[in-house]
Amino acid sequence: MIREFRTWLAAGFLVTVVIVPVAGSEEIPRLTFAQLVDSIRADSGVTEKIKSYSGKEVAIQGFIVPAGPPDLSFFLLSRVSALGNYCCEAPVGQDETVYVFTAKEVSITYDPLRIFKIVGVFEAGMRADAIYGPSLFRVRNARVEEALGAKMFTTGELPAPGSKP
Amino acid sequence: MTILTVALKYLQGRLVASTLTAVSIALGVSLVVASVLLAGGIKAGFIAGATDYNLVVGAKGSPTQLVLSVVFRMDLATPNIEYTAYRDLQQDPRVETAVPIAVGDAYRGFRYVATNNAYFAAFPWRRKTFALAAGKFFADDPPSDPTYEALLGAEAARSTGLQIGDRFYEGEEMAEYPLTVVGILRPTHSADDRAIFFSLPSYWGMNEVARGMAVKPLTAVLIRPKRMSDLPSLHRALNVAPETQAVLPSGVLLTIFNMMAVAEDVLKMILATVGAIVLLYVFVSMYSATMERRREIATMRALGARRATVLGIVLAESAALATVGGLGGMVGGHAVAYLAGSLLGPSGLVTNPFLFDVFEPAVLASVIFLGTLAGLLPAVLAYRTEVAENLAPLS
Repeated sequence: MIREFRTWLAAGFLVTVVIVPVAGSEEIPRLTFAQLVDSIRADSGVTEKIKSYSGKEVAIQGFIVPAGPPDLSFFLLSRVSALGNYCCEAPVGQDETVYVFTAKEVSITYDPLRIFKIVGVFEAGMRADAIYGPSLFRVRNARVEEALGAKMFTTGELPAPGSKP
Repeated sequence: MTILTVALKYLQGRLVASTLTAVSIALGVSLVVASVLLAGGIKAGFIAGATDYNLVVGAKGSPTQLVLSVVFRMDLATPNIEYTAYRDLQQDPRVETAVPIAVGDAYRGFRYVATNNAYFAAFPWRRKTFALAAGKFFADDPPSDPTYEALLGAEAARSTGLQIGDRFYEGEEMAEYPLTVVGILRPTHSADDRAIFFSLPSYWGMNEVARGMAVKPLTAVLIRPKRMSDLPSLHRALNVAPETQAVLPSGVLLTIFNMMAVAEDVLKMILATVGAIVLLYVFVSMYSATMERRREIATMRALGARRATVLGIVLAESAALATVGGLGGMVGGHAVAYLAGSLLGPSGLVTNPFLFDVFEPAVLASVIFLGTLAGLLPAVLAYRTEVAENLAPLS
């Protein structure tokens, strides 16, 4: 009886010490707009490497462009802010934009000048949606979070003119 | 006799005090319910009334004013842009559909909206559909030959009583250019129900200044891009242009929602204070009732009632008061929300205060729980009532 108890205790310890941290350490891969741009090939093709993320959960950070309904069930995630009219680089289109379809009601405080983190199931490759038209990169079942720790420049640590952050 | 029957008899015995306590609970609950329903109704009204177009292009100025005036007809129109801006956008390879809009005067408070028939067209990406209840759509007439045909939104037709074939105008200067009703739209549950639509040439013909202009004026252009991913670049290009601004209507609404959220936070604090006051009132009411009938409680105890029975009676009283007050508050809240919704309706806000909200059962359960809790201390006092002390002769 005691021996059996010890066996169960040891098994429980193993589960706690070994398996739980392994499960917790599964980090969601983060994709950047630079990676998305680099992955684009001729005729709206994309590299196999970026395709390998399709169907997997990824995190992407960017500015929200509320292109869809005001409940944010759909929006664009862009490298450049929709309100940065007189600064930064001009947005160029398909490769600078991820189409985001949210899983449930978004409860963030929308701020066009804040970077948000989107976590959801990634899709790469040209596809046309009946309502939102053709897109190259999509994130479905997305949840939206504030991108804590996103690089924010303060006075005195601004990058040199012309250099990329 | 069960505990509940005794409790109800006690409440009946002091009917005025019990009624006032239940009414105060009902007032507090109806305030919470009405506030939540109205806030949700206003937000839902904005979302339902939002345009399917992704960009609104107008003159430089306030983005909020542009969206509120062009989409919701709730603010003064922004300054004009030139008709050529619409022509340029029509030819832009990134644009799928461009719809010109000119917002002008009003007839009995119903805004004049000049546009073309593209405004009413059905597209696979459009949620909103326009259907005729009577008559026909106005003609897309040439600028040299305006028809002055008007198409009325459902609410505009209902409120003004105008029928097909009726001619109308408002103001002496418009007497020479009366509009003729040629069609009435079915309800769209948006600001379009309160609009009077006609063609741009009719709009320019009615306006003395516009008649003399070589390049005709517009208030705004609604844009649907071919690719959503072109939206940021279109938005940027139109904003850096010296004469136009481009606005994402959903962005403006989200900003309005953010401002509303601040007001809602303040309202929540006020409602929490009201709730605390109501609970305090229930407590004071139950406490004084318990203190008044210590002798009765002692008699009950002397006749064999257990302490737990006495505790149960007082708790059942407060629970009954909270239940009646809570239910009354729910009904009252919906009534207040309906009245307020009716008052806000003409201002352009669409609300549906009859919608049952999922939070309501939770509110009712909380009211009953907290109301019962407010009776806990008086119940404990009743529980601890000493028979010998309270049955002593009064004189």
